[in-house]
Amino acid sequence: MTPQEATSTILFYVLGAAAVVLALAVVNSRRLLRAAIYLMGVLAMSAGLYILLGAEFLAGIQVLVYVGGIVVLIVFAVMLTRSADLLVDKPTVGRMILGGTTSIAFLILSGLIFWSSNFQPRPGAAGPADNTLAIGRQLLDTGAGGYVLPFEIISLLLLAAIIGGIVIARKTPPRNQPLTSGGDLPGEVTGQLPRSQSDKAVTGGRP
Amino acid sequence: MTELLKTIAPGAGHWLVLSAILFSIGLYGLLSRRNAIGVLMAVELMLNSGALNFVVFNHYVAPGQVDGQMMAIFVIAVAAAEVVVGMAIFVALFRRRSTVDVTRMDIMKF
Repeated sequence: MTPQEATSTILFYVLGAAAVVLALAVVNSRRLLRAAIYLMGVLAMSAGLYILLGAEFLAGIQVLVYVGGIVVLIVFAVMLTRSADLLVDKPTVGRMILGGTTSIAFLILSGLIFWSSNFQPRPGAAGPADNTLAIGRQLLDTGAGGYVLPFEIISLLLLAAIIGGIVIARKTPPRNQPLTSGGDLPGEVTGQLPRSQSDKAVTGGRP
Repeated sequence: MTELLKTIAPGAGHWLVLSAILFSIGLYGLLSRRNAIGVLMAVELMLNSGALNFVVFNHYVAPGQVDGQMMAIFVIAVAAAEVVVGMAIFVALFRRRSTVDVTRMDIMKF
């Protein structure tokens, strides 16, 4: 056993245990802001596990998108939706029993499925020498086994998510204000849009 | 020490068990949380363990290719889109009903 293998074995157990403990903290922490920070820890540990599996590019993406983007978004949402009745999120005993039973049953079931299958993994061989190069080539490959169509679809999905997020979360205009006025009419900034007679004159006949 | 490390060296089974444990913890959070943002965090945990599973199978089934890592990248992208829309919905909901308690969102429950 080379020193490298010994190191990766130790790292697997350390990172895995840290990930499990932090994940338990995420679901059990009573304060959501702390849970978000623990979630950041879990995702960072996962990035380390990806490196152990030889996926360096994926680890970088994980840190950039998950730890740097998604967790920050979650922290913002926690701060924007603070309500007095949910400052301390304590589940009832019934929900805890339901959740615990279901998750333990799932764990046992998946373990049974794994042990009863005759899955024969190959010994973990070395992947492509340049991980990032291989991913980049395959992501934009138009031939068989290429991923250029899912790549385009996922960019459309992200665009749709951005537009949907803006439309859903924007401030709802007051009653009777035209939704499609474009936002550049006089009086719209102060929330006093002209009504009825003058309305038509200003908007040029649009409802 | 070296002998011990050799006997507990992680194989595919160890990785899959770790991923299943993380998924189960996420499932527990999904079912026990009351705050919608807490539920979303649990969903993130589950998505993350799913992506880890893809990478594990890539490493142990087809080590010469990067298809599993590609799927993990798509999972991360979909998770980002999901969080954006989810957060927008929660903020709009909070503005209208001033709570994000999932046990009280029961208008469409018959």
